[in-house]
Amino acid sequence: MIKRTLYFGSPAYLKTTNEQMVIEIKGEDLKSAPIEDLGLLILDNAQITITQALMSKLLANNVALITCNETHHPVGLFLNLDGHTLQSQKFQAQVEASIPLKKQLWQQTVISKISNQAALLAKERSDNKLLLRLAREVKSGDSENHEGQAAVYYWKHLFPDFLEFTRDRDGVPPNNLLNYGYAVLRAVVARSIVGSGLLPTLGIFHRNQYNAYCLADDIMEPYRPYVDMIVCSIVTMNGRYLEMTPAMKKQLLSIPAMDVLIDDQKSPLMNAVQRTTASLAKCFEGKARKILYPTLC
Amino acid sequence: MHSRLNAYRVMWVLVFFDLPTDTKGQRREYGKFRKKILSDGFVMFQFSMYIRHCNSKENADVHVKRVKSILPAEGHIGIMCVTDKQFGMMEIFQGKFTVMPPSTVQQLELF
Repeated sequence: MIKRTLYFGSPAYLKTTNEQMVIEIKGEDLKSAPIEDLGLLILDNAQITITQALMSKLLANNVALITCNETHHPVGLFLNLDGHTLQSQKFQAQVEASIPLKKQLWQQTVISKISNQAALLAKERSDNKLLLRLAREVKSGDSENHEGQAAVYYWKHLFPDFLEFTRDRDGVPPNNLLNYGYAVLRAVVARSIVGSGLLPTLGIFHRNQYNAYCLADDIMEPYRPYVDMIVCSIVTMNGRYLEMTPAMKKQLLSIPAMDVLIDDQKSPLMNAVQRTTASLAKCFEGKARKILYPTLC
Repeated sequence: MHSRLNAYRVMWVLVFFDLPTDTKGQRREYGKFRKKILSDGFVMFQFSMYIRHCNSKENADVHVKRVKSILPAEGHIGIMCVTDKQFGMMEIFQGKFTVMPPSTVQQLELF
């Protein structure tokens, strides 16, 4: 089942009774939402108050709680410590995963990412032959860094020329939109990783000592083009004027409900991510060899 | 974009009940049952009638099963599932004035 995403952009008081989240907004009737139905909670206002009892119940139900700073960008992700009943067994398998296995998994990830990037370029009517070739020839562990080569070409050709786009975290728009979308995606992925009994900290490729979500960053790679696709459509609608508006935010927040094709089945992105992380856990345990990734079409 | 989330897949589970409230013990049973179904995510629609939005048939089955597992010892209880489409066609009146049925829960909500 697809879980709900709730976004709070105005002052609210959030508390809990009877396993439900109660939403108190000034001048409006009380609203409530069953906590077990929630997947993502985004808090984006300095005047939101949330009770400790609610936070602990949210975590017990594996809800990803995201807080935003004064520029409305997501800054933090709050996840539970025990997302799965067989957690220690799965952690063990993940920690003991051999280097060749990790390299193979990373190879699959990169192939899938570049293929999805190529599909998006084709959709945006750009030439994608180079990417298709790069995707075909990814080596184990991506030793020739096809990921990077593909990225250079991809970012150069994805957006219309007038934007003079370079991908940079702190760069000019639409970088802000990409950052926002990736943050939402990252939260969805991190939540599923925890739910599959894995540690989001120990990556298969990313290993920056300052990054707490290495595995989430690995697994979200093939999903990034879906965010790029939404940003592309925002660019088509708005041209050069890309300061974040509530309408754009709404479009980016629909990421968890997007239809994606995984294993020849259409499913909402959030469910697809769950299948991906479940297949990853199986790979670590030696019960499967392939991670299930979506194919953009 | 949202073709997987449509009005025929989304279900509403309705629970309606008459429980005896003659003795103190029965009233306690009543209170317990009410609290348990509220904890399962049901909200009051009318006295002794509670509704819950479920995103899929499978999810509705889960909640029907849960209500069955917490049935009180005595009383008359009905459980029913309808699609969001059927639920949306319900006519509701406040006195003589029509009011809107509760809206479908959105996958994404902005407050």
